[in-house]
Amino acid sequence: MIGKKTPLRDGLDRLVDALVEDILSTPDKDILAELKECGGDPARNAAEMRAFFERSIVAANKHRLAQARAGAARNRKRRVGGPVDIAQARQRLRAILDSAGGPQGLTLAARKESELSDSDIVSMLDDLYELGAFPPKDDEEEGEKEN
Amino acid sequence: MNSALASATRSRDEIVDAIRNLMPADWARLRKVAHRYSFGRPIEPDDLLQEGFLRALDSRKCPKHVDVVKFLAEAMRSIAHGEAEKAEYRLTLVSIDKTGDEQNQALDHKDPDPNSEETMVSEQDAALIRTALLALFDDDAIARDIVEGTMEDLSAEELRELTGLDKTAYDSKRRFIRRTIDKAYPEGWKP
Repeated sequence: MIGKKTPLRDGLDRLVDALVEDILSTPDKDILAELKECGGDPARNAAEMRAFFERSIVAANKHRLAQARAGAARNRKRRVGGPVDIAQARQRLRAILDSAGGPQGLTLAARKESELSDSDIVSMLDDLYELGAFPPKDDEEEGEKEN
Repeated sequence: MNSALASATRSRDEIVDAIRNLMPADWARLRKVAHRYSFGRPIEPDDLLQEGFLRALDSRKCPKHVDVVKFLAEAMRSIAHGEAEKAEYRLTLVSIDKTGDEQNQALDHKDPDPNSEETMVSEQDAALIRTALLALFDDDAIARDIVEGTMEDLSAEELRELTGLDKTAYDSKRRFIRRTIDKAYPEGWKP
């Protein structure tokens, strides 16, 4: 009910619950008869409701996709988040590229870190992170070592 | 989640399948339930139904032993109650730019606790509806007792004992009550 919770309103809510309980326990033939009495067509109603449900699935899937995108964006922001020390980022990328067990299959151009723009550096680190080329806690571990 | 618990709940796909396979009577029930739970609440039946579907698909766990129509009905009930609470505790936001006195206006927001005047109005609305509902059964003392007792939180067993009805007669009377209220309030009651 709209309005503040009061004993009388709670009473009306309980009555609604009882009415719903009755709807759920009414035999199929009686429920369908009630629908017909009100001018409804059970088959048409079912078809409309099914179509409504299918639209709800599409809405639910869009919602899930939006949530997944938001989650990915949050993760990306967390990884790159805040001001980036570009010198450190270049140093890190160079270290990854120079390491013996560094990522396989990088292009020759990508190996010339000094020729890359700052945004390319950040983007490449991000891509390498996504590829699992360095551990997720790389930042934290380095931070701990520095402290 | 352990395997026993996982096997006890329906997966999303199982919920979808169960809903897709509902019979015409189940769809008729769901429509009625959505109407009933939107009575006097700031949400339309179709929106309530869609929210119920969304919750069922995305955020609620449906035990395998629970009928999917009952599960959706419970989801709608929960949403309807949540909508009512949101309406109760919604604060009125006032732009500071428009007030010219940010300190007073910013601090002069509505107290979410019911004050005595609001409680009285709310009780008056509910009292009017209650009186009108009971008046529908002025010539049927048993039905009136069941309606009044239900609002007073008596259980079905207590009501059967009070009215002397067996389970079949009680169910039949409750159905009569619902249909009488349906006819009197096809669009629900407004406070």
